[in-house]
Amino acid sequence: MRSQSTYKIPQGKLLKISLEYDEQSNVIRSIRITGDFFAYPEEAVELIENKLIGALIDQENLQKKISTIIRENNIQFIGLNAEGLTKGILMCKP
Amino acid sequence: MTEYWRLLQTGYDTASSNMAIDKAILIANSTGQVPPTVRLYGWDPPAISIGYFQSLRDEIDIKTCERLGVGYVRRITGGGAVFHDKELTYSLVIPESHPEIPKNIMKSYGRICGAIIKGLGHLGIQSDYVPINDIVAGGKKISGNAQTRKVGAVLQHGTILMDVDVDKMFSVLKVPNEKIKDKLISDVKQRVTSLRHILDREVDFEEVASAIKRGFQEEFHVKFMEGTLSQNERSLAKEFEKECFSTVEWNHRR
Repeated sequence: MRSQSTYKIPQGKLLKISLEYDEQSNVIRSIRITGDFFAYPEEAVELIENKLIGALIDQENLQKKISTIIRENNIQFIGLNAEGLTKGILMCKP
Repeated sequence: MTEYWRLLQTGYDTASSNMAIDKAILIANSTGQVPPTVRLYGWDPPAISIGYFQSLRDEIDIKTCERLGVGYVRRITGGGAVFHDKELTYSLVIPESHPEIPKNIMKSYGRICGAIIKGLGHLGIQSDYVPINDIVAGGKKISGNAQTRKVGAVLQHGTILMDVDVDKMFSVLKVPNEKIKDKLISDVKQRVTSLRHILDREVDFEEVASAIKRGFQEEFHVKFMEGTLSQNERSLAKEFEKECFSTVEWNHRR
């Protein structure tokens, strides 16, 4: 299943998620994170995209996973955060 | 002792060349080959730059760009799509370790925007920095800015709108929802301003350049040496333009 979402982060930037997921197992097959936010280093976004492959689409699981990736890789977001990213992904599901 | 920075006035250039030159300066500065550098430039033909994380197809009406001769390029900095037409663009490249540059990224945006605000002051315009990355005058946006940090150097570039044609801007930029396009255009007309609009007269590039130059000198307590790109910067810029900024792989990567 392919799906997209657009989410304006409160006090932040516009996040657009393009998601491919398995409906039966509720798991991410691929994800593309786009938008007008800032990330340091920039390559971090591709890292997050890769590390989310296979992740269960569940609010608690995603937010924990994304927060861990951000912390472990010293990623700094401006106009975006783990909570917003999680919400954007969840919004891809009907 | 007064610190000297380099000032580059590279004139008008294409989108891919402009972005290649900014990256070349960043690399040259990170290896200590060139001093902190402020570059002032314009865009010919007019062009859209999109933020590093944006989807080209989502943001740009490529067919209309081609019909109108408007260029496009993906930046190495994040942020949003910008239609560069009648404006002055600046870039600052400086080591991350420079004592005048806050380690905190948000603070450094504010500090560098301080130079632009002082520059606008010399044109008789009172303006303020509005986080994350805008400068506003009279409540309307006059400047957008974007920063990256790579290999120990900071690159911040941004625009100062001299005049703006919102209708033309929206013919080349895509809107998320065609049904509300008219509303969006009128919203943007309310939110964006230009030097011409504020000053109610024609403003030329040299006048703005001279004011912005003074703004940087005052904000950072430095003097400028007028310079040119080094031989190495020129060859790096050619390489980046050919291998990166003019390629489909780069521009369409998202």
